[in-house]
This record gives sequence, structure tokens and C-alpha cells, in this order.
Amino acid sequence: MNRHEHRRSSLAAAAVAVLAIGGVLAGCSSSSSSSSSSAAAPATSSAAAAPSSSGSAGAVSTSSCGTKAGVAATGTPIPLGSIVTDQTGTSFADIANMAQAYFNCVNANGGINGHPIKYYIEKEQTNASQIASLSKQLVQTDHVVGIVGNTSIIECSVDHSYWEGQGYYIIDSGIAPECYSTSNSAAVNMGPRYSSDGAVQYAITQHPSKIVFDQANVPGTTYIAAGPNAIAKAANVPIIDKTATPPVADANSVAIDLVSSAGKDGAVVLNFTPPDALSILSAAQKLNIEGNVKLWACSTPCNTDFLAKSLGPKWNGKIFVNAELTPPDGTNTPTMNLYKAILSQYGSAVTGGIGSFSQMGFVEAELMVKALESVTGDYTVSSVNAAIKGLKDVNTGMLCQQWTYGNYSSHLPNNMDYTTTANNGQMTLAPSGGGCTLISENDPQVKAYRAEAGTAPTDPTSTGG
Amino acid sequence: MPSWSELEQFLVSGLALGGVYALSGVGLVVLYRATGVLYLAFGAVGALGAFLAYEMLQAAAPQWAAWIVCILFGGLVTLLYGMIFGPALAGRDPLVRAVATLGLTLILFGAMELLWPPTSGATRAISLPTDNGGFTVFGLQVTWTQVIALGSGVVLTIGTGWFLRYTKLGTAMRAMANDRVITATLGVPVRRVEAAAWFGCGILAGFAGLLLADLVQLEPATLTFLVISSLAAALIGQLRSIAVTFAAGIVIGVIHDLLTPFSALTNYRDMTPFVLAVIALLWASRHRTVVTRSREEA
Amino acid sequence: MTGVDTERSAAATVAGQRLALLRRPERPVHLLVTVVLVLFALFALPSLMSLYYTGYMTLVAIYSIVTLGLGLLVGRVGLYSLGQGAILQIGAWTAARLLFATAQPFPIVIIEAGLVTMLIGGLIALPAIRLRGLYLALITLMLAGAFTVVLATVNFPNGGGGFTGYNGQQSHIPPIRRPSFAGTDAAYYRFAVVVAVIMFILVYAHLRTRPGRAWAAIRQSEPAALAAGINITFYKLWAWGLAAFITGVAGGVLAGRDVYLYSINFTTQDSIILLAVALMGGVYSLWGAVIAALLMQLLPAFLQNLGLSYAWLYILFGIGVLQVLTTAPAGLVDQFPKDMKKLGGLIMKLVRHA
Repeated sequence: MNRHEHRRSSLAAAAVAVLAIGGVLAGCSSSSSSSSSSAAAPATSSAAAAPSSSGSAGAVSTSSCGTKAGVAATGTPIPLGSIVTDQTGTSFADIANMAQAYFNCVNANGGINGHPIKYYIEKEQTNASQIASLSKQLVQTDHVVGIVGNTSIIECSVDHSYWEGQGYYIIDSGIAPECYSTSNSAAVNMGPRYSSDGAVQYAITQHPSKIVFDQANVPGTTYIAAGPNAIAKAANVPIIDKTATPPVADANSVAIDLVSSAGKDGAVVLNFTPPDALSILSAAQKLNIEGNVKLWACSTPCNTDFLAKSLGPKWNGKIFVNAELTPPDGTNTPTMNLYKAILSQYGSAVTGGIGSFSQMGFVEAELMVKALESVTGDYTVSSVNAAIKGLKDVNTGMLCQQWTYGNYSSHLPNNMDYTTTANNGQMTLAPSGGGCTLISENDPQVKAYRAEAGTAPTDPTSTGG
Repeated sequence: MPSWSELEQFLVSGLALGGVYALSGVGLVVLYRATGVLYLAFGAVGALGAFLAYEMLQAAAPQWAAWIVCILFGGLVTLLYGMIFGPALAGRDPLVRAVATLGLTLILFGAMELLWPPTSGATRAISLPTDNGGFTVFGLQVTWTQVIALGSGVVLTIGTGWFLRYTKLGTAMRAMANDRVITATLGVPVRRVEAAAWFGCGILAGFAGLLLADLVQLEPATLTFLVISSLAAALIGQLRSIAVTFAAGIVIGVIHDLLTPFSALTNYRDMTPFVLAVIALLWASRHRTVVTRSREEA
Repeated sequence: MTGVDTERSAAATVAGQRLALLRRPERPVHLLVTVVLVLFALFALPSLMSLYYTGYMTLVAIYSIVTLGLGLLVGRVGLYSLGQGAILQIGAWTAARLLFATAQPFPIVIIEAGLVTMLIGGLIALPAIRLRGLYLALITLMLAGAFTVVLATVNFPNGGGGFTGYNGQQSHIPPIRRPSFAGTDAAYYRFAVVVAVIMFILVYAHLRTRPGRAWAAIRQSEPAALAAGINITFYKLWAWGLAAFITGVAGGVLAGRDVYLYSINFTTQDSIILLAVALMGGVYSLWGAVIAALLMQLLPAFLQNLGLSYAWLYILFGIGVLQVLTTAPAGLVDQFPKDMKKLGGLIMKLVRHA
């Protein structure tokens, strides 16, 4: 090798080294994603939180999240765990991050009888091997006594037998069918099937000539579509099912297809994560065809102010979103104000801000804390999970109904919803029929659950708007 | 069987999509003809430039500044890569040099995933002022951005064809891609010509990246691996003919969207670029072996 | 002109290096080390690892078979495949379908999966064999992309009926069954290691006999091999078939490892990453395949534990590819001992001068 070659190879090697160092430096200066931390934000005093964006009550103290205002918890930590999907195009990390924020608040205000909560958040990329390994890690290495905040496309399917065998009762935000159809998982939300049920139910009240139901092609599409199909059939409204593989790269063709299939008097109902839903809706707007159908409806992921702001005023009263939780804008209850205050003070890792995802995280953490506070004696897997299972008729302040875990073969504790609509950059309750409405029993799974668990009473502390 | 009025709308959106594929595909072929390297990092470089522009826009910088940063970034990164790894890999099989650009792709993709991690609620988007105007065809609004994408493809096809054939620099580039050694002996300033080729194509990648981020989605994986679909167009042109690549890109986009209303095929329509490329390659090789220039026969 | 000599000699140097690497004789001490390591992996490691790492090491065993196949194609025959990920998926799909549809013993099923994959791989290779170098690599990428789309629609079998075995309405998806003798995670890990060892022996046997010599001749110079009377098409197809077979078997073992297969899990990027790590590990040595699998499957486990984003892996692999292609064509397996030797020499010098 002559010296020119030598020089070139050395130059190339040096370039590679520089790239490596540059990469390291870039990483150090960027915000890295941490997977476990007990106190992400500094627990400052429990004084007034910064005013939230919707201008609710000014000086809201976050200290009501805990039992002893301002007293930091210093006992042996109570370990809890969660597994959330966090990958290109789909991230549910906000839910766990909000739960973390709630736990930080509690830790700064007395903890659980003086014990701080140590919350392990494991992020997965829809890889069954990875998920199975993570659940074992949480149980065997981190020794968690409870699982709360799971939000994953496939985790419930992969792990439910493991949790049943180990005796954990999960509080999660469900997506996969097993999150609702198995004994050891109870969700605070309704999940894609039941939320789509709610969206279709509302659409039917506006008397469309037909419904086009489009959803992301993730595992379980036929199962998800079965609910809306049953409800539409019972109402004698023709329904067409479609799927699109996420991430949706060619939103134009999807939008054109939906609009032409629905026709001028039809309704389009979407079930996608926020980025893809926004992609399709903006494509319809850019193509100027959004007005060519009677109405657009969407399952709960669309229920964010960000979506309302991005779409703009053309969509006021044109898009109706099934809201599984009480709309934050315009609600002035103590719980809602606490949620906004905690989000503001401790929720720096929550990228989506005010919206369904962070609300779900709040409710799940709230329920877990309530269960933990009822435990007398040691915090073990059996004592904690017995307490979780024993949660009954809890007023969460964020749901239409009181929340019960119960000893049932399937769980659908949240089966009553609101409908919101875009209103000048915010999602507010739809003027007609937007209040708490039970999901129709024309969906056989809903009927089966109510046969076992009955219909829960409404939650008086979560009056919507 | 869908009606013609439905199909004509898909024809329009298909042309817009085809413009996207054609622009990237032509960019790939142009660089290949000028340097002999199949620059698979084309999408990633453009995407990273677009993210930088996004950050600048979020920081309330003037729009033209953000665009210039995006385009220049593409040019500079590509130039740097070409100047360092071009000579280090010169004389190697085009396959090896293409795989090396895959290395660059992975680095850029990883950097994007790291610096702009997936968000739960808020999506990132770039919008250009040309999004807000346009004209109506068959009941659909066609934005100026889409026209620019398609038009740039046409300009590029005609312009580079002319450039490579009739200008001195272009001829030098073609000669170099053909045989770098002999071109050097003829007194052509090889390093400078190479630098011009890399920089020029990097500028193109940055420009295409900005348009694609607006037209498709500002998302790392989508934009980075869009290059695979554009590659299909380039393969149909056998990495040689810019005009065929352009036409192939348009055809791929149109067929892809036209398949949408056919319920039996709609879920498979994303296969369109790949299937067409495979058919084209197999057809090209039916009588003779298809080779790229390789000089590693020891 | 500086350009003239250096390019020709660069190409010649690379070819010469390759010749030297492929001709390296096997030493008995290597064999002993190999046996000891395998025994350690089989018997000692499971009790030392947590179940978290056992799961990942099972993946290492599975993917070492895949990188072995890819290394065979790239290093020994000169065929760059950007579609091995799709081949793995075909193997996993076939095994899952058979495991649900029949009651055949698990080892038989994975062999059948390997054979079916070999058949499909061969059918695809047949028309494509006329393509060379870059075009061959790109057509494999195109095919992999096409297959990913098909799989997203057809889905992996989940206990349903019909040809695809997919039932979209399930609310309780049954897991894919594991062999009766290897149901637990630790036992399944051992099973995966045993299968990997068998696949490595199979490839090794090929390399030491006629096919191996033919491939070496083809790799060096196709015209020369042709002149020597070697049927190039036949041996190339044999290499494709062998790589497809072992990757199909690996797919079967993967089905048993994951017990739930989702198409969303497998992307086109996987095939690119496979090539990157195969190059980094070293395509001229069987150990390189093991290192490649460790990079691809074990490193993410460490990163996850440290709380670092998976994006660092992409950056690392990208740098690795550039490094291998420019300065260390034989990969880590070759470079690391050399670097260690250099380091050792440096230390000796310092000690002597101290």
C-alpha cells in the first residue's frame, strides 16, 4: 500500500472516529430518554403552580395529590412498573410520563404512608421478544409490586398469561383485545374497539346514509371492526371497513378514497394514532374535499387540542371525537385543576400537554395511589394487587362513571363516554348529544361485560363542561 | 369497478405522488452517473435537513433562512461524505460503495431518531407558503408545492440530461464515472469535478427533502426509507437513463394511487414500486447478464 | 497523477487480503476454544443470566444462524443480499402455520420450515441469478420490501384456519407451541443454541468440501472459475439454497421463541441492519456471525438497561459499516485480535522503557 492509499485510509478512519465522537457529544447535549427514575422533576414547594393554558383557577396547589403537603417521602420505596410502546410513528410514552409526574407529586407530599414510589418505565418497539423480556425484568430484577400505566399495541396479548400466573392485576390504557377480554387487566380507557363504537354511535345520531370506518392496520383489526359493525348493523346503516398501514405515507389517496366511498351524505370514522389521523384529515383539507361528506368522526386519540389547532376553524363542528375522559377545556373541577397543575409543575416529560394521553396517565396513577393507600402492612405483590382488585366505585373525577376493578373474567370499567368537537383550536363538548352516553349493548362484548358487572353509577365529581 | 370520476381523482393524486418518486429517483441516477456511487443516503440527508429547518422555524427564524439551511446542509454533508469516503472507496465495486452510503444512512437516521424522538401527541410538520394556493382539477385542490415537485422533476430531467451531455463539467463527470483513472490521465481535475458532483447532488437532496417533508410527512423513518421506493424508479431506468427514471417514477405513483379503490388490491398497493422494479430488472436481464462496472477481479 | 496507481492497487489489495483471509488454515486450538465456549454457553450461562438476558441470548443464537447465512453469501460467494430479513419471516411464518395446523414434533417442523424457505429462496434466486453485484443486492431489497407489504396484509398465523391461518377476530390469541422438552425460557435457550451449533457444523462441512472450494474460486474471479470448469450458476444457487435453509430454520426457532408473531415487528430496515452487523462482525469467519448476532440482539438489551435510546444502535452500526468497508474488511473478528496485539505490543514497549 503506497503512502497515498495509506493517507486516504487514515483520513477515512479519522473521519469515522470524528463521527463517533461527534455522535457521543450530540447525544450528551440532546435530551436522552431515560427509562427509570424516581424523581424526574425537582420537588419544589407545593405553592401555586404556573397558570395553565386554558386559564382556569390561578393558584392551584398540587399538594392535594398526597396526604402530607410539602413533606418529602423518605421511606423504603414501593417499586411499580410499566411497559409502553415508544417507536417511530407510535409513542404512548406520555401516559407513563404523566403517571410518573403524579407519583413525583405524591412523593413530594407525604408519599404512601411516608414511602416514595419508584416507577420503572420500560419502552418497547412492538417486539414480542423484547416485551416478554421486559416483563420478566420488571418482576425478577426490579421486584415491582404492581403494574400501572401499560399502553402497548401488543403487550396485553404477549404478557397476560404471565401476569395471571404471577398474580398481578394491571391497571392500563388498553389497546390489544386481551387488555379487555382477560381477567387480570382493567383499563381506564375504552380502547380502539369501544372508542370506535362510541364514534360510530354518535355518527349514527346524525343520520348518515352510510359509514366508512378506516383504521390503522395493527394487530386485531377485524376484532376492532366487529364492534362498530354490530352497532351500525343494528341501526340499519351500511358500513364499509377499510385499513391503512401505519405510518400513513400517502395520505392523499387515503383521504380521496374515504371521501368518495362515503359520499356526500356519508360519515367517515377514523381509528388512528394522532399523527396518522392528522395526516389524513389535513390531506383532506389540502385537497379541499373535507366538506364533501356529511361528517367526520374519530376515536379517542384525536381528542387533543393540538389536533384542533392544526386543523383550524374549517373543522369547527365538522369533526366529532369520542372522548373517553372528561374534556379538560371548560371543566373547572378540583380534579381537573389538579391534573393541569401537576402537568404544569411535574410534567415536563409529557410532550402532548393537555389531552387524552396525559389524562389517562393521571387517572391510572390516581387509582394506583388510592389502592396503595388502602394497604395496611407490607407492600408485597399479593397485598398491593389485592388492593387493586378491590377498587370499587372510585370517583376519579375524569370519567363519566365510577371505576371498579372487580373479580370479572373481562373488564370494561369505562363504558360511558363523551363526544367532543373542534372549536377554534380546542376540543369542547359537542353541543347536541355530547354528554355522557353509554356505549351501546349492540356490541356483544359490552353486553357480556354488563351482564357480569352491571352498569356503574355516574361519577358526580367529573361534570363535563 | 370504480367509476371514472373516482379514478380521475386518484390519477391526479397519483401524479403528485409520482412527482415525489420521480424527483428522488432522478436525483439518485444523476449522482450515480456523475460519481458512480448509488447514494442511498439521499432520503436521510434531505430528511435531516428538513428537521433542521423545522427547528429553525420553531425558533421563529425567517422562512427563507430555514430553507437555505436545509438545502445547504444537504450539500455540505454529501460533499463531506464524498470527499472523505469517495477516494477511500474509489476503485471498489459500485456495490461496496452503495453499501457504504447505507452506513451514512444509518448514522443520519439514528441521529434523527435521537434528536427528534417520537412524540405522543404533538406531530411535527413543515408547511411551505406554496401549500396555500393552487388550482382545482377534477374537484381536487392541487397545491403549488405539488406542482413544484413535479415541475422540478421535469426541469431536472431535461436540465441534467443537457448538462451532462453538452457542458464541459458534465462531460468530465460522465467520463469520471465511467473510468476515473483514464479521466485523470487526460488532465481532468478529478478531485474538483468530483466535489462539484457531490455538492450539486447534495443540494438536490436537501431541496427534495424539504419538498418531501412538506408533501409526505416530517418523520424520520418515512422520509429516510422513501428512498427505497424512489430506488425502484431508478432501477427501472437501469441507473442510466434519467428520462426513463422520471417516467418510471410518475408511472409508479399513478399506478399506486389508481389501485386504491380496488378493494382486492388496495392493501397491496404499497408493493407497486417494488414489483415494477423487479419486473423491469428481470426483463432487462432476460438475454444477457446485467453488470455494473467492477474492478475487483484480482 | 496520484489517482492512477492508487485505485488499481486499492482493488488489488482488497482482493489480496480476501485471498489471504479465506485461505487461513484452521488451527486445533481454535477447535478446543470453540468447544469450551459452546459448552459454557449451554451449561453454565443459563444459571448466570436473568430471564431478561436469557431471552436476548436466545435471540443471539437465532440471529447468529441468520448472519451465518448472510456471511456465507457475502464473504464466501460475493452475493450481497439485502433480503435476509424477508427469508427469516418466511421461515417463521411457515413454522408457525405448521405448528398450529399439525401436531408434528417441533424439530421436524423447523426442518420443514427450512426446506420450504429453501424452495422459495431458490425459486426467487433462479431468475435473479443473471444479475450481478449491485443489481442483485437491489433486487433482493425490492423483494424484501414487497414481502413486508404482503406480510402486513396476510399477517402471521395465529391459530385460525384457511391457508393463511390468521383469524382477525380473536380476542384470545393462542401462543405458538414450543417443543415438549424445551418449554421454559432457559430450556428453550439451550435448544436454540443446539440448533445454532448444528447449523454452524452444516455450513462448516460445506466450506471444507467441494462447494466451499467452488465458492472460493467464484469469489476470486468468475471468469477464472468458469475456465476451471466450475458450474457457477449451480454453486451460486447452492449457496442461496443453503443460506435460505438455515435462515428458514432460524425463523422456526424464532417462532417458538416469540410465541406471538406480529408483522408490525418486522421492517425492511431489519434486512439493512443485518447486512451492517454481518459486515461489522466479519464475513470471512464463522465467528464473525456470532459477533454480528451479539451486536444486533444483545447490545439493544444493554442499552435498554442503561436507559439509552435504541437510536444509538443505528449510529453505531452506520459507523461500523463505514469503518469495515474502508479500513477493516474482515470485520471485528479479525480487527479486534490485531488491535489487541498492537495494544499488547505497546504495553510491552512501555514496560520495557519504564
